[in-house]
Formats: sequence, C-alpha cells, structure tokens
Amino acid sequence: MNALLDIQNLAVGYTKREPLFQHIHARLDAGTVVGLLGPNGIGKSTLLKTLAGILPPLEGDISASFTSPVRQPTQETHSNTSAFVPSQPPRAAHFSVWDTVSTGRYRYTNWLGIDDQEGKQQVGKALEQTGTLHLAQRDGSELSDGEFHRVAIARALVQNTPLLLLDEPTAFLDIANKRIVAQLLHTLARKEEKAILFSTHDLALAMEYCDLFWIMTPERTLHTGTPQQLQEDGTIDKLYQT
Amino acid sequence: MKRIWLLFLLLVLIAADVFLGSVRLPFADVWDALMGSNPEAFVYKIVWNFRIPKMLTALLAGMALSVCGVQMQTLFRNPLADPYVLGISSGAGLGVAFFVMGASVFPILSTHPWLSHLGTAAFAWMGALAVMLMVAAASKRLKSNMGLLILGIMIGSAGSALISLLQYLSDAPALKQYVLWTMGSFSNVTGRRLVIMAALCLAGLLISIRNIKDLNVFLMGQSYAESLGLSTSRIRNRVFLATTLLAGSVTAFCGPIGFIGIAVPHLCRMIFGNANHRVLLPASALMGACLMLVADILSQMPGSQSVLPVNTVAALLGIPVILYVILKNKAVAL
Repeated sequence: MNALLDIQNLAVGYTKREPLFQHIHARLDAGTVVGLLGPNGIGKSTLLKTLAGILPPLEGDISASFTSPVRQPTQETHSNTSAFVPSQPPRAAHFSVWDTVSTGRYRYTNWLGIDDQEGKQQVGKALEQTGTLHLAQRDGSELSDGEFHRVAIARALVQNTPLLLLDEPTAFLDIANKRIVAQLLHTLARKEEKAILFSTHDLALAMEYCDLFWIMTPERTLHTGTPQQLQEDGTIDKLYQT
Repeated sequence: MKRIWLLFLLLVLIAADVFLGSVRLPFADVWDALMGSNPEAFVYKIVWNFRIPKMLTALLAGMALSVCGVQMQTLFRNPLADPYVLGISSGAGLGVAFFVMGASVFPILSTHPWLSHLGTAAFAWMGALAVMLMVAAASKRLKSNMGLLILGIMIGSAGSALISLLQYLSDAPALKQYVLWTMGSFSNVTGRRLVIMAALCLAGLLISIRNIKDLNVFLMGQSYAESLGLSTSRIRNRVFLATTLLAGSVTAFCGPIGFIGIAVPHLCRMIFGNANHRVLLPASALMGACLMLVADILSQMPGSQSVLPVNTVAALLGIPVILYVILKNKAVAL
C-alpha cells in the first residue's frame, strides 16, 4: 500500500535549540485510523499542529503521495492535504452551525465566502454524516461539547482532504459521546478512505477503534504498530506505569 | 427585514440632520434650497455649504468607525477592542499636538511655509500612519494577537505621554486649540477636505468588504484559520490598512471620536443575532451612520445657539450600550 503521508526524521517543537520530539519516522495510509498516545507534554499536539501546517517542522521531511514532496511545506500545501480539529474548537456567538461548517469550504468559495450549489450540498452531507443536520440553524456557542465536536468534524470533512488530524477529540465528552465520535472516525476511514490520526488518553477507546498506534514515550522515541503488537512487546504497559 | 428598517431609519436621520440645526430654518426654505432654487439665499448657503457636508461627514465617520470596530473585535477576538486599540488615536493626537503645540519647541513648524500649510488633518494622518507602520512592522515578529494588542496599548500610552509633555511645554492658545481638536467636530470638513476624506473612507470600506471572507474564518480562531491556509500576517495587514484609512482619516479630519466603534458592532450582534460578517459588516456600517447622525443632531442642540462637542455626545450614546454588553454576559462573547 502506498503511504498517504510519509514522515522522515521529523523534529517538532518551538525552537531548534530545544525540539520537543525528534527523529520521527512514520507513515499514514488511506483508510486507517491511527491513535496517537503519550503522556501529557510529550508533544502530541505539537506533532499534530506540525502535520497540519500550523507549526513549521524544525527538521525532516513530510511528503504526501498526492502532491509533490516538499521539504518545508507551506500552509497552502497543508490545507490541501489535511484538515485539523483542535481539542477545544473555538466557537463564535451568534454564528450558526451551518455558517461554522461552511468556513471549512474556504478554498472553494468566492471572494465573499459564498459557496456554489454543490458546496452547499457538501455542507449538508457533512452535517448529516456527523448527525448534526438538525442543529444547522442553531447558534454554535449554545451547543454541548459533544455536539460541537461533531460540528467541528463536519467542518473538517467539507475541506475534502484525504487526511484528518484531531487533537483529543474525545476529551471532555461523556461515554456515549466518546463512542459516537470514535465510531464516526472509524466509519469515515472505512467508507471515505480517509487517513485519520487522533491523539487520546483513552486507551480502552483507542484499543477498540484504532487500526494502529503511534506511541510517544517519555524516552522520546516513537513506537508504531498495531495495538496488539504494542501490547505484546510491553510498550503500552511501560507507557502507563506509575 | 431588519436591514430594510435600518436603511429607512438612516434616510430619516439624513433628512433630520439636514433640516435641523442650531439655526432654526423654515422647512419650506430648506426644501427649496435642496431643490436648488435661489442659490444666493442665506438658507441655500447654510444647507449646501454647512449642513450637507456635515451630514456626509457624520455618515462617513459613523460607517468608518463601526466597520473598523467589527474588524478589530474579530481580529483580536476581544469584545472590548475598538478602532483605536492599536494606538491610532494617540498617533493622530501626537501628530496634531506636534503641529499645534510643538511650534514653541520646534519653531520651524510655524516658520516653514510648506509645513505650516499642511494643517492639523495632515499631521494627524501622518501620526496615525506612523503608529500603524510601527504596529505592522512589529506584527511580523509577533505571532500572537494578544502580544500585538499589548504592543498597541503600549504605543498608545507612549503617544499619550509625549502629548502630555508637549501640553506641559506649550502656551495657553496652542493648548486650547489642541483641546478643541480632541473634542471632535464635523463642521470643519467641507469642500476639498470632504472629498479627500470620502475617497480615503471609500478605499477603506472596499478593503473591509474584501476582508469579510477571512474575518469569518478568523472568528473560529487563529490556529483554525492557519490550518485552512489563511495567512495571519496577510489578514492582519489588510485589517491594519483598512483601519488606517478609515479610523485614521476620521480622526485626522474630525478628531478622536470614541465609543461608536466599540458599541455599534455589539448593538448589531444583539439586534441581528448574526455574527457572520456578510451581515454584521454592512449592518454595522448602517447602524454606525445612524448613531453618528443622532450624535450630530443632538450636538447641534436644534433651535439653540450653542453646540456641544460631538465626542461627548457620541460617548453619552455609546457608553450605555457598552455597559449593557458588559452586564449581559452572553453578548460579550465573540
């Protein structure tokens, strides 16, 4: 299988002098759900933001199979490649759910941000897929955390990117909403051939829904493999040792 | 429907501002003057040389400051941001203070033929532009908008400190001239000055319309906007340019007029219940023009001989809105 995203010797962080995590070698394939695990402060969000193009890589290569490989990808390149959902997506008061999701169509709309008929259908479809179509005219700031997370995922979907990056999408959610979001990600990977990378601290949920794990250990090494492999070789146990 | 009502209200206020003033004129005479009859009459001159330019200035100032306020509040995701948050008012004030009160320290300002003819508006505009260029240069190094906000406040404070120093060193007539400028007035903007102000404001409004799409995305947070490929520095620079043209021009020609720029966007969010900039920006422009016309009508104290400073009247209109926004927590959110 061709890698959708190939990461070679990547270093992430805020200054070259003190990278948070380095020597990252990994690949992401279409149709797979990957769980990103690791202790707090290890650099999970920083890695996701780097892959999303919000932070520049300190070193190394990130190449996508459907675009020409770029050593220092620009924000424009990343917006074609990946859609990012932050852990607590900011909301705007008096801004409807429909308008919130429509902002994801930024690359496709005209200079005033007005979408064509096909784009509007895509917004409707994404709301339907995430089970939020009935909320379309509601004020985004009035939704529950679980509802708004699904809206944020719908917004990522209308970007039409092959890669979805999510920073702790199940944090702050109750058990029922955690399962709804995880099931949604799994369905998107299977039915739409999306590559999905999400960070989480919920091991049980990740074991159930992820095809692969990327584990960032306190020793600053990245272990990749199936949940079963990483459980058998003791990496998961080491991660959660107290 | 609400926008149509607002447009209707604006038309009524435009008429009221022309028909009412500190000099009481018969309705029929004002109507005749508007229709162009008897150009030599006293009423014709008052209407065409004073009231219409003043009404157009108030209209432009209200639109400009409100549209700036919307953009600043979205850019900084701060409900209390206003057009002057980056120190543009202090910059303009410093320019005027330098021109009016600096002559005692720098005699060349009053003796040099070219400099002495530039006038307060040109100096105010140069001061505002200098501040915006400083902020724009610093914004290249500052990724965080909060850092930029603090920088703007610091530049504003530095400008105010220099103005205080000039005030301390200046004589009484110069000090009075400066204080009068700070009170704001629409009466001095006529003829060529009005054409220049209108052209600058129109350019600023067009750039603001171009910003609508990016501002809607920015409302969802800087990180999200960047993940969509939107360049923070590009939108910042476009908002700074629009603000310099709009708030800089209004301040240069009319003096610093506070509270409208901060109050109107909140008022529109409350009335229209829609923060989408395709609705909010034009609604704020119309509402800002309405409020500024009301301020202008009230400042003329129709029928009496005295005129109040427009800045004071605008503040008395704007402050209740800001207090309501602070007390009603939901409306504070952006």
